[in-house]
Amino acid sequence: MALPQDALWYKDAIIYQVHVRTFYDSNADGIGDFRGLAQKLDYLQDLGITALWLMPFFPSPLRDDGYDIADYRSVHPSYGTLDDFKVFLEAAHQRRIRVIIEMVLNHTSNQHPWFQESRSSTTNPRRDWYVWSDIDTKYRGTRIIFVDTELSNWAWDPMSKAYYWHRFFSHQPDLNYDNPAVRDEMWSVMKLWLEMGVDAFRLDAVPYLVEREGTNCENLPETHTIIKDFRARLDREFPGRMFLAEANQWPADLRPYFGESDEFHMAFHFPLMPRMFMGLKLEDRKPITEILQQTPSIPEPCQWCLFLRNHDELTLEMVTDMERDYMYDEYARDKGMRLNLGIRRRLAPLLDNDRRRIELMNGMLMSLPGTPILYYGDEIGMGDNVNLGDRNGVRTPMQWDGGWNGGFSAADPESLYSPLMLNPVYGFQAVNVHSQKRFEHSLLSWMKRLIRVRKSLPVFGRGSIEFLYPANHRVLAYIRQLAKDTILVVNNLSSSAQAVELDLRRYKGNILIEMFGRNIFPRIGDLPYLLTMGPYQFYWFRLRRI
Amino acid sequence: MAEETILSDDFLRELINVGEVDILVGVHTYNDASTIGPLVQAIRVGLLKYFPRQRAAIINADGGSKDGTQDLIRAASISDLQHVSRLQALRTLHSISTQYPGGPASGNALRTILAAAELLRASACAVISPDSIIEPEWLERLLRPVTRDNFDLVTPTYRRHKFDGLLIRNLLYPMNRALYSRRVREPYPPDFAFSGRLASHFLSQEVWSQEVGRTGAEMYVTISAIVGDFRLAQSFLGPKSRVEHAPADLVAAIRRSVGTLFWSLEDNFRSWSANSHSEPITTFGPDHELISDPLRVNRKRQYEMFVRGVSELDTVLKAILSPPTLAELQRTATVPEPDFRFPDELWARTVYEFTAAYHKSVISRDHIVQALAPLYRGKAHTFLLENRDSSAEEVESKVEHLCQEFERLKPSLLEMWDGRK
Repeated sequence: MALPQDALWYKDAIIYQVHVRTFYDSNADGIGDFRGLAQKLDYLQDLGITALWLMPFFPSPLRDDGYDIADYRSVHPSYGTLDDFKVFLEAAHQRRIRVIIEMVLNHTSNQHPWFQESRSSTTNPRRDWYVWSDIDTKYRGTRIIFVDTELSNWAWDPMSKAYYWHRFFSHQPDLNYDNPAVRDEMWSVMKLWLEMGVDAFRLDAVPYLVEREGTNCENLPETHTIIKDFRARLDREFPGRMFLAEANQWPADLRPYFGESDEFHMAFHFPLMPRMFMGLKLEDRKPITEILQQTPSIPEPCQWCLFLRNHDELTLEMVTDMERDYMYDEYARDKGMRLNLGIRRRLAPLLDNDRRRIELMNGMLMSLPGTPILYYGDEIGMGDNVNLGDRNGVRTPMQWDGGWNGGFSAADPESLYSPLMLNPVYGFQAVNVHSQKRFEHSLLSWMKRLIRVRKSLPVFGRGSIEFLYPANHRVLAYIRQLAKDTILVVNNLSSSAQAVELDLRRYKGNILIEMFGRNIFPRIGDLPYLLTMGPYQFYWFRLRRI
Repeated sequence: MAEETILSDDFLRELINVGEVDILVGVHTYNDASTIGPLVQAIRVGLLKYFPRQRAAIINADGGSKDGTQDLIRAASISDLQHVSRLQALRTLHSISTQYPGGPASGNALRTILAAAELLRASACAVISPDSIIEPEWLERLLRPVTRDNFDLVTPTYRRHKFDGLLIRNLLYPMNRALYSRRVREPYPPDFAFSGRLASHFLSQEVWSQEVGRTGAEMYVTISAIVGDFRLAQSFLGPKSRVEHAPADLVAAIRRSVGTLFWSLEDNFRSWSANSHSEPITTFGPDHELISDPLRVNRKRQYEMFVRGVSELDTVLKAILSPPTLAELQRTATVPEPDFRFPDELWARTVYEFTAAYHKSVISRDHIVQALAPLYRGKAHTFLLENRDSSAEEVESKVEHLCQEFERLKPSLLEMWDGRK
């Protein structure tokens, strides 16, 4: 099935992030699989999403939810076979849904045959595929990422009697990208999936590929050289495919990952997300506008990826200490909700299940410049279970209906990969797709409308942004513009009704058309344009000169 | 006819943009451009440092400045338009300014600030005098008792030189303490904080159109909080340094403070007549600190003005004072300056007789209040003389003695009040 030929397809995309394991179990073994995911593609198409981002599905000991890959060329047997994947991929493409898969470049599982060979002897040909040292004091300027579990970036291997380098868990040894054989092998892996038809890779943990003494071992020039090499090969052999960077960095440090359009096509805007939550709680646009003011411009073909929640904790690495303390106190008063430097909760519980705040946050997600990513289940307001370890509390089974196992699996409940949400507020009997499909005003139905309106004009994905700065700081307002399309977005971050005056004199003579109800608002004149807004209300207006 | 509004449309628009706040800091100004910059800077730092999460606003009520004072206040805002890299601020901080009608008057300014506080639903407010040289910590010391301990009014205590604040120590503190039975060290506070509840109470009072509301609002704030049985505390702020201005007009100061105190007694008789002893109030930090460094002061001039006043105001004083008190005053005025003393008992008796005369309106009330000024100079002279070489403890001991005299003689005021004497 040929997808529309548009090299910049990712700029207009609505991405849905899902783990195969969590979505639908087709064979009643308690674990979601590719056949199950394929069966639910109609649901995703109906929701309106245009791309699926799959978390790692490769063979793995699953000590880090699949980010510890033991074989890059196959599918974990719990999720099906390689053929099942191919069938799913074709079915997705038939529905004009592109597929983005994970590529964990930085490290493998310690169960990967490469590592087993590497540790087996210092003379093994794969010895230099990983970073080994006789001492554990090299690269001392490097921070530890998983501060709750790891004490060092070095781990002792009793078999080879040496230390190996790992930026994440100690069971995830870092590959040695100074070795050309590693780079060639990883491209070979990517090529395999690209030839199969995969549309894009989310390249995991890219800032950490290379180590150098005297540095913090992040964002090094050598890392950029490696990415440029991969990108050149991609453009040459698979034009129209895409690289998405996972690099939890400040915007200024992220900017080099776009290069001159010769590294990543897209990158996550990590610092924006916590500031959207902060702005909402403070009822003040300042955190949001400030971080976007600090965001450098990127090459025209490139794009930011925006998200509210994902499979990880709500990361607070890219905030100040004062902001982090505030976020913890406001969003994770219970210490069980905190993990590493973040908050392991889903969108709905973070927002106290307040429908107005959920809508406002999604409205901003869909209207700020970038490509939005929805995390599975957030479209129906699924909850989390902080009693599950690590980040598993936000990775519980998708809730399809109020029946057996929430419609996720026909297996015995005891054999599910994860307990279902059962509580009266967020449990599958209260929150599920089936019941929300029945009502026009359910969150699911509202999300579908939101996505439909977002997709109605390319300005949201490709247009410029200009912030208005009304004196009322509780209101975040901006103009999105692309060619003749001009959109005014006004968000009330406050829990109370607000009046706001907008300086729209430049658009004098235009009338405002509210994009959801298509109602006409008064024509813009010389005076400040007065709007009154209900609590957490937002408007998208199309400006028309008629 | 519509009720007169004290808020201009522009100011109201700015308040709408500020929205609900937790903390409001009010500053009243009039041509203070040369000194207001450091003051608002200290307020801003204090808010960011001690109340970083609270919604706060600085509200300036200006009496008609022509020197750019208002622009300096507005420049203290922190918003996404005015990025201040040195300051880490979670929130927007609005610093807005308005000119109230009627020319400079602290009462009008306070009323404007109170109206803003009520509209913005501020739960804690502070008023900072433009004449103060403050540290950021003052914000915490004034506001924390309101936000944390639910006090309604927090008055200041300061570290002062022993010869600073003479009117307060020789008249306002002792008299207010004796009459209203609360030991408020600064009953006429230049800097103070109050709760939103008390702000609404003040605003609803009928005083704002009267002279006392226009000019004596700070004194009224203290009295009104005591009479209204609000929770009072005082908090030590630090050294009381004043911006150098022209010498204060004593008569005007007495009108604003003593005049207000006299005026307040009319409506609050039941309250102030009920208690015979004063009680301390909750105090954060020391209730006073005195610096006793040597300081040259012109005592002789105080003496001369006292003597001249007793002589020139003979007719007025005859109408106000009892014959024995007047005679004793006149005799005292004949004593040469080096030996002159104004005893505590005579001073307290004199003040109470003025109070009763004010109540009975024996002559124009304004004349009564003004006539107290030269007599006060005599008492101030004695204070300066007696404490020339005193330590801080000795000064405080003398202040306490004066307070006890005022409390001891309070029954005599009650007798004069209802005509028994």
